[in-house]
Amino acid sequence: MPYLGSEEVVKELRRALSNPNVQADRLRYKNYITKVIRYMTQGLDVSALFMDMVKASATVDIVQKKLVYLYMCTYASDKPDLALLAINTLRKDCADPNPMVRGLALRNMCNFRMPGMTEYIEQPIVAGLRDKASYVRRVAVLGCAKMHSLQPNTEIDGTIVNELYALLRDPDPVVVVNCLRALEEILKDEGGVVINKPIAHHLLNRMKDLDSWAQSEVLTFLLRYRPRSDDELFDILSLLDAFLLSSHAHVAVATLRLFLHLASAHPTVQADALLRTSAPLLATCGAASRELRFAGLCHVQQVMRSQPGLFGTHYKRFFCGYSEPSYIKFRKMEILVELVNDENVALVLEELRSYCTDVSPELAQAAIAAIGRIARTYSEKCLDILTGLLGLKQDHITSAVIQTFRDLVWFCPQSTAAVCQTVGACVDSPQDSEGKQALLWLLGEHGDQISSAPYVMEGYIDGLKTELSSAVKMELLTAAVKMFLCRPAETQDMLGRLLHYCIEEESDVCVRDRALLYYRLLQRGVEETRKVVTGPKSDPSMSVLTGRQEEPISEWDSTFNTLGPLAGCDLCPQTAATSAADQPSCRAENELLPESTDVTLSSPDDAEEEISLSLGPPLSHETFEKMWLDLETLHRQTLGFPRPRAAPDTLQAALQLVKIQTLAFTPGDTVPWKAYIYTRSTETLILAELLQGDQQAPGSDESLVVSVKQQPVNQHAIRGFPSRSVVYRVCFSQVNQTNYTFVVF
Amino acid sequence: MIHSLFLINNAGDLFLEKHWKSVISRSVCDYFFEAREKAVEPDNVPPVIRTPHHYLINIYREKIFFVSVIQTEVPPLFVIEFLHRVAETFQDYFGECSESTIKDNVVIVYELLEEMLDNGFPLATESNILKELIRPPTILRSMVNTITGSSNVGETLPTGQLSTIPWRRAGVKYTNNEAYFDVVEEIDAILDKSGTTVFAEIQGVIDACVKLSGMPDLTLSFMNPRLLDDVSFHPCVRYKRWESERVISFVPPDGNFQLMSYHISAQNLVAIPVYVKQNISFFETGSSGRLDITVGPKQTMGKTVEGLVVTVHMPKVVLSANLNATQGTYNYDPVTKILVWDIGKLNPQKLPNLKGSLSLQSGAPKPEENPSLNIDLKIQQLAISGLKVNRLDMYGEKYKPFKGVKYVTKAGKFQVRT
Repeated sequence: MPYLGSEEVVKELRRALSNPNVQADRLRYKNYITKVIRYMTQGLDVSALFMDMVKASATVDIVQKKLVYLYMCTYASDKPDLALLAINTLRKDCADPNPMVRGLALRNMCNFRMPGMTEYIEQPIVAGLRDKASYVRRVAVLGCAKMHSLQPNTEIDGTIVNELYALLRDPDPVVVVNCLRALEEILKDEGGVVINKPIAHHLLNRMKDLDSWAQSEVLTFLLRYRPRSDDELFDILSLLDAFLLSSHAHVAVATLRLFLHLASAHPTVQADALLRTSAPLLATCGAASRELRFAGLCHVQQVMRSQPGLFGTHYKRFFCGYSEPSYIKFRKMEILVELVNDENVALVLEELRSYCTDVSPELAQAAIAAIGRIARTYSEKCLDILTGLLGLKQDHITSAVIQTFRDLVWFCPQSTAAVCQTVGACVDSPQDSEGKQALLWLLGEHGDQISSAPYVMEGYIDGLKTELSSAVKMELLTAAVKMFLCRPAETQDMLGRLLHYCIEEESDVCVRDRALLYYRLLQRGVEETRKVVTGPKSDPSMSVLTGRQEEPISEWDSTFNTLGPLAGCDLCPQTAATSAADQPSCRAENELLPESTDVTLSSPDDAEEEISLSLGPPLSHETFEKMWLDLETLHRQTLGFPRPRAAPDTLQAALQLVKIQTLAFTPGDTVPWKAYIYTRSTETLILAELLQGDQQAPGSDESLVVSVKQQPVNQHAIRGFPSRSVVYRVCFSQVNQTNYTFVVF
Repeated sequence: MIHSLFLINNAGDLFLEKHWKSVISRSVCDYFFEAREKAVEPDNVPPVIRTPHHYLINIYREKIFFVSVIQTEVPPLFVIEFLHRVAETFQDYFGECSESTIKDNVVIVYELLEEMLDNGFPLATESNILKELIRPPTILRSMVNTITGSSNVGETLPTGQLSTIPWRRAGVKYTNNEAYFDVVEEIDAILDKSGTTVFAEIQGVIDACVKLSGMPDLTLSFMNPRLLDDVSFHPCVRYKRWESERVISFVPPDGNFQLMSYHISAQNLVAIPVYVKQNISFFETGSSGRLDITVGPKQTMGKTVEGLVVTVHMPKVVLSANLNATQGTYNYDPVTKILVWDIGKLNPQKLPNLKGSLSLQSGAPKPEENPSLNIDLKIQQLAISGLKVNRLDMYGEKYKPFKGVKYVTKAGKFQVRT
């Protein structure tokens, strides 16, 4: 105990409490009792006063009773033998004519956490379940759960369980919900309370009488119920409809979760529910309490995984206020990245740009990374902003921008040229190790396109002695070797110095080993080294559009409205533990409805199974031109729709998604419009030209004409190519304003 | 559900704990303190903290952290909203929710917590019902209690739960029957440097104070109900009638309650009542800066703007401000770096202006970021959205009630960037 002289205090209080004069004066007596409680809540050990306090419980004053009960509950487990003395008083109180006293006594008796209580409390609880005052019944029902938790390993009392199930029909709504809560705890090992059809319908009909907390809990319990027929399902949904717009966010969200769960076979119903709840969700995002705002944002983020377009027009609601806590700002930025579309991109970028100069470096870096994410779709505008930020000459900003460039080049190869130009022109170099690594990676990987690359790298090699981070040294080694492969003349000398230093003088074992590895590799010859060191220059899976792809709702609805997403993880051990009970029923439902997930899957996947296209190494313009002129046209087809009117970047990205590389486009609206594309299928290279508006080609004034050539000829693939892949009409219709949808013919 | 609650003050002292199930050691709060340390500012503590065996969900209000310990999976919004309800109840009972009032009223606090949750489940949280169970302390009552020795616990049970309409108690009687409605609108807006609106929306509520005898059935209708984008109602409102006829029909609870809240967002044009002309600049040399702010009326619909306060969060390097205000008073707190300019009523003939110099820490570099301005204001007798109540009708009772509607517009999160 931190309080010195606590014994003195206790002694003094005992003297006062046992003084008959004090006992006679109700007010003074109560004041001393209050004093005891105050000491108790401050952490002082006043358990020595137990006997005196038990005596004080024999009073008609309810407040005094409450205080003594509070005291007894706290120390009962420490002094079980003394607490037994108090039980008699409590049991007497359980028969008091005042329902308030009955309820209080019963509740506190159940709160005594000591072994051997059960035999004393069982009879009052059973009596309480049949009490005519609903207040007492509420307490008694929860008392059953408390009684069970006192002896968790004993067999479940069947009569009590049955009684609780019967009390689900109680006229008092709180009793009903308490029954559910108690049953859930008692039957935890058996998978919790069973929700069958009569119970589910009874609960649904009582929903209106419940308070918001109870509504939210009942909605969670109803997740276990699976309607037998569609008619029943829609009856339930229409009953719950009004709750989607409840003024309590937690009820609205709980209802939405139930909707998504029940209507998993009806995607349109799900989409409609999401649309309707978007208003309350947005309102939560603007709530006065920042914690509510945060929770609202987390939920919006989850909804956007399936419906990225839903909040596109409300993007301004996610702009950060100056005084908002950083955890909210981070979430808002993540959301802004997700909801960018053609209309709002300019304003969103402008907003994000203003966050880049925030006083907090973490926020600034997050904002820069966010711009980088948007750059994967809207490269040009973002690159302008990022280049402008380099001009600010702030260390943390420069570093973040360079890191963003590295990620951008990896995910979005078409921006390489612009990035290289900027990096080449950038005079400032990042000071922290992460930024240095990013810069070195860029220099090594794209050294052929950055004219000043060897000189920048030389600076690093000269300053090697003062470099502290071994990660930077490793990156420097790799980058220097890569650069040597593409620009040997300028690099040879410095690479030699670098290797020499790292092998002879470096104390870090990892760096030395890496240097030795490269040294021996280079001894084997340049071609050998090239084979080992160079890899793909961009993400081979080409996930350009992943950020915008719609995930099926079933991906996230199980964690919707749970703690996981707020705590920053999707599934955590406790969630797994507690939801284990729900698992069997979930699994059964999935078996019933196996097709539910397939509906929302995007189409490119199933076509790929038929003829597999792959990107392979890129063709140079000259090779393509030569082949195009040499080969015969194997197939010509009018596609019956006009050319896509999207920016070349987007079109290119979209085609890459279906594994088709683009070689060249005619810019803008020039007539005739042409595009050259190519792809690889098993052992064969397919070349194609898309043409519109050419006078010589028949039928090309209104719609696209595709001509296909192939090397070597493989009839199966050529038949597949136009009908499956190109004919994925990359029709960038503005459905939902943000989503480019691929319509398959 | 909610296992325990700890109240922790700004300095990190744990001053109250309450356990609804088994006692959880205070050491669980170490995880919270760790997060608190990492966040630097108390505002930045994340609301949900994961620990190996528990979740800690906390809210920060009036310089107090309400930290709840959760052992099983729960809907997070549920817990957050509940914690706010606890804080609101304290506020309701003691007038303010601060560490000292909670310590002074520790007995009532425990009584309240005991009634609000049982075994971790919310029981009675409605202020009406709680007040019948536990009477709030008042000076008069504490005097009476001292003299007569009676307690502040209700002797009777709350009757609300027994009537057919759960939110209204049966057998209400008043000599003066009156129903008052306050339409309160808050403007949340961000204006940029040039005064253009980056973002603006209106959060509105209609608070009601209804003291009517018997079981009155009220109908409230608006002149322009289409304005309201997204509305949520007190459970007493018949939603079906709102959907079909756009009128609010309800049997009111007794006393004060919030009838509805609504939201008017960016789709509709939001009127901005004031404009701010500002120029805050810092010189490259000489470690000083200049500040010049003028506020003027913009779209006030002919009403006066009152209670105008401009708050500026200055960069850390600003040491002091030497300013001259043509109206109102200003105060610069060098510790929190907050400049508050209390203007009061806005006079359109003579615009208030605050002008002068700022002195910076010598040798410190020029601040990168310009501070932003928060505006607080109030306009009586105006709902800035243009919402108007048309009429209020009462059915089911014979008497004639007094009726009244009051409009007020306030600034919510209203900020101007510089």
